[in-house]
Amino acid sequence: MGLITSMAVFWLAILVVFILVNRGIWVFTDVSKSMSMFMLEKALGPLIDFVDGKHGSAATTWIIQGAIWIVPASIITFCGLWLSHDPEALHSLSSWGLNPTSSSLITSGFLVAVYGSVGMLLIGSSMHIVPELGGTTLATEKNATLMSFVWTLAVIVMFIAANKPEIVGIRIMPVATLLTNLALIAVIVNMLLTAASRTKKMPLPAWMMIIGMISAPVSIVVLAITGSLDSGSGQWLATRIGGTAFFLMMSGAILYGASRGSGNPLWSRSLAAVTMVGAILTINPSGLIEGEIASDFLGISTAAFEPSRNDIVAGSFLLALSLIPIIALSANVLATMRGDDVFIENPDSPGMPEINLAAFMAVPIAIGGLFVLTDYLTGTNELTGIHTSLVLMGVWVVFVPASLGSALSIFPEVSGRHVLSVNRSRWAFWLMAGGAFSGLAFTMMADFSDMALLEAAVEEENSTSNRIRVLGSVLFYGTVLGSIYHALNIISGSFRGALASEGLNQSSTSISSPYKLTKETTVRKILAQREGKLDTVVIPESSTDLSGNATEI
Amino acid sequence: MSDDGSTLIGEFLQGEGEPSSSWVMLVMGFVSTMVFLILYGILFPSSDLPVISSVLPVFDGVFDSGIWFFILGAMIGVFAILGTMLTEATSE
Repeated sequence: MGLITSMAVFWLAILVVFILVNRGIWVFTDVSKSMSMFMLEKALGPLIDFVDGKHGSAATTWIIQGAIWIVPASIITFCGLWLSHDPEALHSLSSWGLNPTSSSLITSGFLVAVYGSVGMLLIGSSMHIVPELGGTTLATEKNATLMSFVWTLAVIVMFIAANKPEIVGIRIMPVATLLTNLALIAVIVNMLLTAASRTKKMPLPAWMMIIGMISAPVSIVVLAITGSLDSGSGQWLATRIGGTAFFLMMSGAILYGASRGSGNPLWSRSLAAVTMVGAILTINPSGLIEGEIASDFLGISTAAFEPSRNDIVAGSFLLALSLIPIIALSANVLATMRGDDVFIENPDSPGMPEINLAAFMAVPIAIGGLFVLTDYLTGTNELTGIHTSLVLMGVWVVFVPASLGSALSIFPEVSGRHVLSVNRSRWAFWLMAGGAFSGLAFTMMADFSDMALLEAAVEEENSTSNRIRVLGSVLFYGTVLGSIYHALNIISGSFRGALASEGLNQSSTSISSPYKLTKETTVRKILAQREGKLDTVVIPESSTDLSGNATEI
Repeated sequence: MSDDGSTLIGEFLQGEGEPSSSWVMLVMGFVSTMVFLILYGILFPSSDLPVISSVLPVFDGVFDSGIWFFILGAMIGVFAILGTMLTEATSE
């Protein structure tokens, strides 16, 4: 079946899911709710009693584990980048039966970063965002907390599978898929039960996160039903929709984080709607270029990528259209952070620089991805040489900062404590962002150099490229250091960071009703909104014995 | 000299900003190590260091790439995270 037909069935399936989630399953709604709740808690027996069920514990557990996963992800990626110029650097590990190569380490680093850190941070954030926006609580904190450990186990298995695909004749990656889906289905059911108990109309960021989670398994079912999964185009499409799932979840988290962190209401609901609908209707350029990873995950044989002419036209068209939701997201996040004046309100708050970076870099990297993917889709393959560097840049400059930034901005609310040090958080940001951007930019320069020499059919070893790769990998080490700083800051903060309740200064300012606040704000902002007047009378404390009152603006 | 004056000098000599014991021990350990190595080099100029010289050849061919220095740094970071988790969870 053609690419456009598979996409059409996917759109229909997502529409049906959206309607069912909103309307319920006719008379079976109550039965399915109680049965799902039973399966999530009681059916697990004594296992469920091992975890804490207090408010916010699930989100905190997922976020902390996600932050810790950034450390191995960055170390593995660093080793992969190093081995690209010094392939024998880790040959001493062969005495333990390990023979890591640059490509295997970069692939496993990519998987650990995407599923371990980005996935866990986004799911953790959703466990706070969805109930908060729905005016309810998470259906079961206990199950969600327990599933975080299953997910972590899945990421460990995934890392082993990327480096050693078969152990005693058993393919390892499908085991990781099984574990990931076990945890994901439990989380999805938990989210659906939470959404079902909402007390108010749920804003779009929450829907983005729910639909994002659902879209990955739905796409696989759709591709299996349409019979596309055995073809190269189908496997390529499965990889692309995997990118859509992460993009949707990231969009929901980053929009909420930008609004919550800056204290400004979301700039545009229309742009948020464009982001959500556009992401589903188009083909996202995020993720690996080939469909091989999808076949590895599903344990099926990899098919050759031979798209028909219609597939090429439809795919290129939908890829180009994907820029619309990405630009809409970027513009919405940046405008929300800025508010109605020219300054970002609290640029040093943990999470805000990361969100800013991700929103800023999303568009140029998406454009780069669009060129490379279109080049691959049409079979030209002139730009595939920079594919790995571009994918890594997308992960480390967009997805990791976006998910980490959103998680950091909601961390005080979910854990009850701030991160230990704002200063350390700032250092960690500069190390991570600087290391990832400069290191991968130099690696991309080396890729371009290799491509140029390959085109000129030069057979000698490219020493310039190798020297640039050395610089790129050493600079990327900043990301390793930054991730360690972030992990230490979050862990220490969750134990002895300043209490969130103490840090929150309730505004005593009287503000007219149309002015919407998501958190505390400043007088400068209110004045910039033209909501207040400069007629505030300030009375020195020593001149009166009367007790103070709220300042009326 | 009056009693008041000696009391003041005593307080002055006491000091208030004491370094933590861990730093004192670290600096003393570093200085002792340097002193030992220099003295050994002077007293036994052509001899290998005891124990260390027989252990180091075991690692021949292992740390033969610069990547190991970076991995060592990352391992220190990982152990710092583990140490932080343990100490934070068990502290009063």
